[in-house]
Amino acid sequence: MTRRMLGSLGAVVAGAVMLAGVASAHITPPVVLMSDRDAVVALLAGAQRFFVREVRLSPAEQAVIKRQTGWTPDEDFYRFYLGRDGQGRLVAGTIFVTEFTIHGPVRVAVSLGPDGKVRGAAVVELTEETYPWVKPLIDLDFARDYAGQDSRGHFHLSDRLGSLEAMPQFYGQVISGLIQRAALLFELGVLRRGDAS
Amino acid sequence: MNGIYLSRLPWSGKVFCTLYLLGIGCGALAAFTQAATAIGLSPAEVQASLAPAMPMTHMSPGQMMGEKEITLGEISSAAKVWIRTPLLIQTSHTHLFGQTLIAGLLGLIFLFSSLREWAKALVLALPFVGTLVDIGGMWLTRFVWPGLSVLVIVGGSLFALGYALITVISLWQLWIGTVVRTSGIRGAGAPPSEASL
Repeated sequence: MTRRMLGSLGAVVAGAVMLAGVASAHITPPVVLMSDRDAVVALLAGAQRFFVREVRLSPAEQAVIKRQTGWTPDEDFYRFYLGRDGQGRLVAGTIFVTEFTIHGPVRVAVSLGPDGKVRGAAVVELTEETYPWVKPLIDLDFARDYAGQDSRGHFHLSDRLGSLEAMPQFYGQVISGLIQRAALLFELGVLRRGDAS
Repeated sequence: MNGIYLSRLPWSGKVFCTLYLLGIGCGALAAFTQAATAIGLSPAEVQASLAPAMPMTHMSPGQMMGEKEITLGEISSAAKVWIRTPLLIQTSHTHLFGQTLIAGLLGLIFLFSSLREWAKALVLALPFVGTLVDIGGMWLTRFVWPGLSVLVIVGGSLFALGYALITVISLWQLWIGTVVRTSGIRGAGAPPSEASL
């Protein structure tokens, strides 16, 4: 009797441990590579004054985004950090965009110029699991391939990256998609609504 | 329970329970450190990570855009994780499964301790209740009132308290305590329970 009960107990424990393993395997802890302030300072280099602009997207603007990128904005509230020169002219704007992948969030800061073209981008947060997949891309400074493109540009991985393994390739596409979203959000939230300067 | 007590487990059972309890303890310390570095341990820090994005520009409801000049000091310099709704869903899903399974295994071991029934029930309920208060607090902070972030701290503390009590009592009874008979349950015909010294 006792042996049978101990056997049952062992089976329950083994099953629970397996379930716990499955349940906890989805998302690993966050890895924050850069604070928001550091990202804004780096990406708005050359600006002398800093502004924050917050916008709510109208349903029409959300429809434009959906039509152009296939992505439906998960929020209607977005914040841009704008850098201006001493005369108040727009130097660049930065927005933080996030994709919630099955492996956890990937958050990217993207800087855009007054012409709506990408100036630079930096991955600021991801997860322990995704970091080894994204690190080769960061080491290759892959985001510079999108500099100079606006929201209608081609956001594909360039040939100079060589043959990437499947997961870095996947996350490269995720991040390039985020950069395109940022360009579109900047166009709608800053450029089309008029520059306050 | 049913004649099986921690102090009477065979060596293999004692080694299993001990290593499991110690392993969970190490995991809990790592989780605590991770929470402290990625989010913070004060209600204000939890609130900053979980509460809905508060406009920096004092946009009124219905207002589509706001802009104001800021200093770099107003941009968060701390590299903290900002938990938005999709991440909250992911976090809830993994933590509810994971923590409940951990609480279940802790409770399973603790069922074989020789405390009085009411004390056993009280202690083994703590990790379960802590998990629900912790995760529930996250949702309430985000959608009901930011001040409820204190529930996240309380829930985590309850889980930790439950783990500590279960581990100390179980290890004591596994390796040091001896079982003596007491009359823990009142009522005619009730079987005598046993308590460990």
